[in-house]
Amino acid sequence: MLIQNISRTLLFLLILVCGSCELPPRNQEGTGKAINTQEAFRTATTPSADEEYIMVTTAINLPLYVNHDQAAFKAWGEKKGVKTTILGPAEWDVPTQIATLEQVIPSRPAGLLINGTDPGIAQAIRKAVAAGIPTVVYDSEIPNSNRHCFIGSDWYEMGYLQGKRMAQLLKGKGKVAVMGILGMENMEAGFRGFLDAIKPFPSIEYLGKYDDKANVETAARIAADLISAHPDLAGMAGFDSNSGPGMALAVKEANRIGRIKLTTVDAEPEHLKLVQAGVIDYLVGQKRELFTALGAQFLYDMRHGTLQLSANDAKAGVVPIPRTVITGSIEIDKTNFAQFIQ
Amino acid sequence: MTTQKFTLNNILQDRVLSLSLTIVFLMLVLTLLYPTQFATWDNFSQVLLNLSIDTIVAVGMMILMIGGMFDLSVGSVVAFSGGLAGYLMYHQDLPVALAVLAGLSGATLVGLVNGWLIARIGINPMIQTLAMMGIVRGFALMLSGAGLQNFPWEFIVIGQSKLLQLQTPVWYMLFIVLGINFLVQRTTFFRRYYFIGGNERAARLSGIQVERMKIWAFVISALLAGIAGILLSSRLGAALSTSGRGLELRVITAVILGGASLAGGQGRILGAFLGALFMAIINNALIIGRVSGYWQEVILGVILILAVAMDQLLLRRVSRK
Repeated sequence: MLIQNISRTLLFLLILVCGSCELPPRNQEGTGKAINTQEAFRTATTPSADEEYIMVTTAINLPLYVNHDQAAFKAWGEKKGVKTTILGPAEWDVPTQIATLEQVIPSRPAGLLINGTDPGIAQAIRKAVAAGIPTVVYDSEIPNSNRHCFIGSDWYEMGYLQGKRMAQLLKGKGKVAVMGILGMENMEAGFRGFLDAIKPFPSIEYLGKYDDKANVETAARIAADLISAHPDLAGMAGFDSNSGPGMALAVKEANRIGRIKLTTVDAEPEHLKLVQAGVIDYLVGQKRELFTALGAQFLYDMRHGTLQLSANDAKAGVVPIPRTVITGSIEIDKTNFAQFIQ
Repeated sequence: MTTQKFTLNNILQDRVLSLSLTIVFLMLVLTLLYPTQFATWDNFSQVLLNLSIDTIVAVGMMILMIGGMFDLSVGSVVAFSGGLAGYLMYHQDLPVALAVLAGLSGATLVGLVNGWLIARIGINPMIQTLAMMGIVRGFALMLSGAGLQNFPWEFIVIGQSKLLQLQTPVWYMLFIVLGINFLVQRTTFFRRYYFIGGNERAARLSGIQVERMKIWAFVISALLAGIAGILLSSRLGAALSTSGRGLELRVITAVILGGASLAGGQGRILGAFLGALFMAIINNALIIGRVSGYWQEVILGVILILAVAMDQLLLRRVSRK
């Protein structure tokens, strides 16, 4: 009797478990597809003061993010009279960024501005879009994320511009190396762009790519090691915000200013000072303020139907904002750096 | 007799009990503060999902810390196992089962090397696992590169399916916590770690093969980190070389909160789960309360110091008696 009861209970539990099992869809792709659900995203007719737009990023204390992305986002919020919140881990920690994003979704904010740090955040972005939250990805594109809009730079182009300028600076010959955060999709695209740009110059010898972990000390150590190992090193290119200052430190300490050509990304005050001092030859800056100010405005427009493309865009499955915006790059060298020093 | 068991002293000294009560109290406060955001099924399932990976690794770390050891390479192993399985599926077209097996075997091998060098050669665990953390992270970078995606559906199913509205990593976590908790409480093999952590010399004299047990502890811990890595890759649908960065410190914090001691000989598997749950709830509250990431680091650091300080105060109180 007891065995029969246990068997029945187990059978009931098994049926319950099997009936409750939900498998993921076989095809998870979706970028660029039209949204065709009945209430594709949440809208509101009148703006309100407690309307909240949330930026979810990683390494939130990175000066580049604080001075550009976050400052522009906050300024936009103040101008619009809406609440802006910035969330994410202090370190470069993508899984924690994902966890933060997933925990923000249930509170249904008016819009989400997500730093496209890694392709791995695609699933969390899909969840936000599925929850009907207007979602803009900025900085780097996240494939298969279903995001409503991407706004950012073309990292391949940023690498290509650096490679082209490096070839000019070296007059088509010499040893070069690149550094940045290895494994990051955007930087790997930058490395590819750099390599493609120097490909037509067979006398330029590519020494390889190095991981400076977005750390000035590590970048300086790698650059110093490269200078020791290759006394005829002709140039180095950097792909994260700290690569440039690190490479510059090593070049200054080796007393090789001007003899080793340096190009790097970003145009923070420290980068500009190094251009002024003649240590760094060329900077490729991003228009980061546009990422977040325009991105937030897109979220606002989407929520409030600023420009309607149909009687009811949300119900019609029309996303009334651009799907992809490439903001372009800012090229800085000794001829125009003064315009950027504030 | 029964009433004596529930005195304030006893509650404070039983970390699993005191942490459980703290968590219940915390949840009640948060429910009152954020009734529409905290006390929802969506949020609850999300908190459990987010703590699942850390908890699986914390279970292995708890076994190590009971035995008076720790492993700083677990975060890198998480990235490595997912990266190896991902690489074999993506670049070598290996069937999912074999790729997962290879990922787990790779993780186990890391644990075996760590354990062997620490137990047989006598390398300090901190030095050995710190070095291994860098080596394994390097391999993870080589394997995953800019991140591997587009895995077969059969792999995605492992971490993205839902059972009773909860995503599968939560079920794996519960199974591992309950299973290993049972083994640690009921089997001689796992009980030996308390003797080793409490007094290694005495354990050796009593006939326990300490070196072999240490190797096993590192192997089990690395295998659990490997399982966590496979689950994380499957859940994200991507193998990231940056996965598991900083995980080791989060896990050690959770385990200490859960009652482990850096000196060894103390701790329970349920404590590891509760430590991770406590941290996950605090994290969740900080996100719901829209507390900036700067403050989140400060608050989590303060919690760790408070937990260790409370441990010391209780130890003093017990030793005075």
